[in-house]
Amino acid sequence: MQITGQLALTVVMGLFLVVIAAWLAQIEDWRSYTPIGSGGATGESGYVSKEKPAGISRWLTTVDHKDIGLLYGAYGVIAFVVGGLMIMLMRIELLDPEMTLLSNSFYNSLLTSHGITMLFLFGTPIIAAFANYLVPLLIGADDMAFPRINAIAFWLLPPGALLIWAGFFPLGDIVPAQTAWTLYTPLSAGVGGGSQANAGVDLMILGLHLTGVSATMGSINFIATILTERGEKVTWANLDIFSWTILTQSGLILFAFPLLGSALIMLLLDRNLGTTFFAIEAGGTMLWQHLFWFFGHPEVYILVLPPMGIVSYVLPRFSGRRLFGFKFVVYSTLAIGVLSYGVWAHHMFATGMDPRLRASFMAVSLAIAIPSAVKTFNWITTMWNGRVRLTTPMLFCVGFISNFILGGVTGVFLASIPVDLVLHDTYYVVGHFHYIVMGAIAFAGFAGLYYWFPMFTGRMYQRRLGKIHFWTWMIGSNITFFAMIVLGYGGMPRRYATYLPQFATFHQVATLGAVLMFIGGLVWTYNFVVSWLEGPKVQDGDPWNLREDGMYTNEWQWFENKQETALADGGDEEEAVTDGGTTEAEAEAEAED
Amino acid sequence: MDEQPGLSDQYRRASPWPLFVALGIPIAEVGILFDVFAVAVAGLLLFCGSVTGMLRESGYAETPWRPLGAFAILLFVVGGTLAFTDVNLVTRGYAIITAGGLLAAAGIGGELFVPKREAV
Ligand code: HEM
Ligand SMILES: [Cu+2]
Repeated sequence: MQITGQLALTVVMGLFLVVIAAWLAQIEDWRSYTPIGSGGATGESGYVSKEKPAGISRWLTTVDHKDIGLLYGAYGVIAFVVGGLMIMLMRIELLDPEMTLLSNSFYNSLLTSHGITMLFLFGTPIIAAFANYLVPLLIGADDMAFPRINAIAFWLLPPGALLIWAGFFPLGDIVPAQTAWTLYTPLSAGVGGGSQANAGVDLMILGLHLTGVSATMGSINFIATILTERGEKVTWANLDIFSWTILTQSGLILFAFPLLGSALIMLLLDRNLGTTFFAIEAGGTMLWQHLFWFFGHPEVYILVLPPMGIVSYVLPRFSGRRLFGFKFVVYSTLAIGVLSYGVWAHHMFATGMDPRLRASFMAVSLAIAIPSAVKTFNWITTMWNGRVRLTTPMLFCVGFISNFILGGVTGVFLASIPVDLVLHDTYYVVGHFHYIVMGAIAFAGFAGLYYWFPMFTGRMYQRRLGKIHFWTWMIGSNITFFAMIVLGYGGMPRRYATYLPQFATFHQVATLGAVLMFIGGLVWTYNFVVSWLEGPKVQDGDPWNLREDGMYTNEWQWFENKQETALADGGDEEEAVTDGGTTEAEAEAEAED
Repeated sequence: MDEQPGLSDQYRRASPWPLFVALGIPIAEVGILFDVFAVAVAGLLLFCGSVTGMLRESGYAETPWRPLGAFAILLFVVGGTLAFTDVNLVTRGYAIITAGGLLAAAGIGGELFVPKREAV
């Protein structure tokens, strides 16, 4: 029995490899090898568009930074929808303390997956989407420094997602993890009576590990690109703010993610191979927490810095003024980057650590609010007396600032030890970080998606639907997350599938806000899908009329050139179009209009 | 970029290898962690083979045979450490050694029997 199983598996894997080899052999036909010296950005000497594969193969084999950016974007958006549907189920479960829509353990599983999905499968990838598409355009590079590594980094993500969600698929007796995203030991080491020794947890950890490898590869690529591939006219003095935040973020990733990867491997070894890194007698309960949060806090800044960059970049375009105090925004970014490594233990104030140590972490945590505030004031002053145009991306930027202030101020409260000892592990913390991750990071992401939508798709979205989306989200997120803050003050602990009757009202309010956001999400999906397919074509390279204010930038210049090129040599491009996939076809059609 | 508008749209770049490098890693990881022999071997072959393909494509290696040999040696060392030392993960070690053996066979076979092509 055992032997036949092994045999069957061997045959399956063998066939799998043969199929891949066959596909590769076929691919070789359309490719003409030109050894490309450095493995670096080329193009001129590569192969021409005639040899680019058609249809799905194009997306599977692309190493073009814009294609990869779109892939990251699609991936991030899908993950966002999955994570959002998960939380809708949970919010319905929380409508009433007696509700039995979900079992308690399934609630825990959704909770775990929601957090990991949003942070690792939506947050990091959606940032990488913007960075991949835009950074080379902004700094005048032909492509990323290592285009193939760029593609590897992306392709690690889909298997990562499948592993992270593996427990939800009907795979024998694998059950989804219930460890929460923080994976605290000894629970996550498989100790105790629950299902935590199940392979579902191992698969999730492996998936997490993969996404970490992906982020690290991406960050090395961005650092190399920004340091070495800048165009002649792009100096450190005039490097744009978004690239600055990507550079800083990449630096943070470089130190944070390998540490997470190592800690995850230690955990896997503890779980499967009998090591004792995190056993009570050895590392104890605190070792994991220190390792995790030394990664975990920088991670939150990894997620917030580039969205801050997007806001710093987009906001001035609709204020008719340059970013106020550009230099100080850059300095603040760098300061946050450095300081973010000195605050991790503010997540552990309640663990009984040495009070003197604790106080030092409190001091640094309060200090990190200063550069954050500098940025906030700079954004506000940028709008001050400006010619503000409340387009959808601008609304999302303003919403970002508003929500970031609420999230930041609640963070400062939590950074104060006596306050934290009361509020730790309550809904207040959930409110705090959702103001930031949803209210700020996701809002900035959507500001970017709306702002560059004409460039990504060549079409315009429906403005009115965009505004409806914004207002449902702005109101919805503030209803939900403010209710959470109140629940936290009332002492409602986080991560429970049920609660005492006195918390019912505010839980219902929170669900109401979530429903509002859900509706907004439907509007957004409809708007983006329909506009992408049949929205009005963008006619010139300046859909936002940036030239009027002298705010025109490189990436739109590129877009304009692209449109003009499509016009100019549209004729000889016939062939590229027939097997070239949608983008050219669209550009082409546009040119003929 | 400014001087050659739309350049990267006219000369797109594509490579079939990254996808398979990325697939090889999780397959090998799952196989080794859960001690599933065939999966571990297949994952390692896929990973090492695709990296080799990429090295050749980008001109770092003229033929795939030497990189395959290098990977084989690496896998022998790692597999040997797992199988024959105090680490004592015998079956996992053998899986890695097997993958190394197959790569070595391909590498040596290629070096000896495949006629040298014109450098492309
Ligand atoms: C303005 C500076 C900030 C300060 C001073 C701050 C402070 C804190 C503190 C003290 C906690 C721990 C609360 C507890 O568990 O008792 C916390 C939790 C958290 N913060 Fe912040 N925060 C700040 C900004 C941010 C940002 C920018 C993000 C996200 C991008 C963020 C995301 C989180 C998350 C995810 C948690 C919860 C972690 C968990 O236990 O699951 N915070 N914050
Ligand atoms: Cu923190």
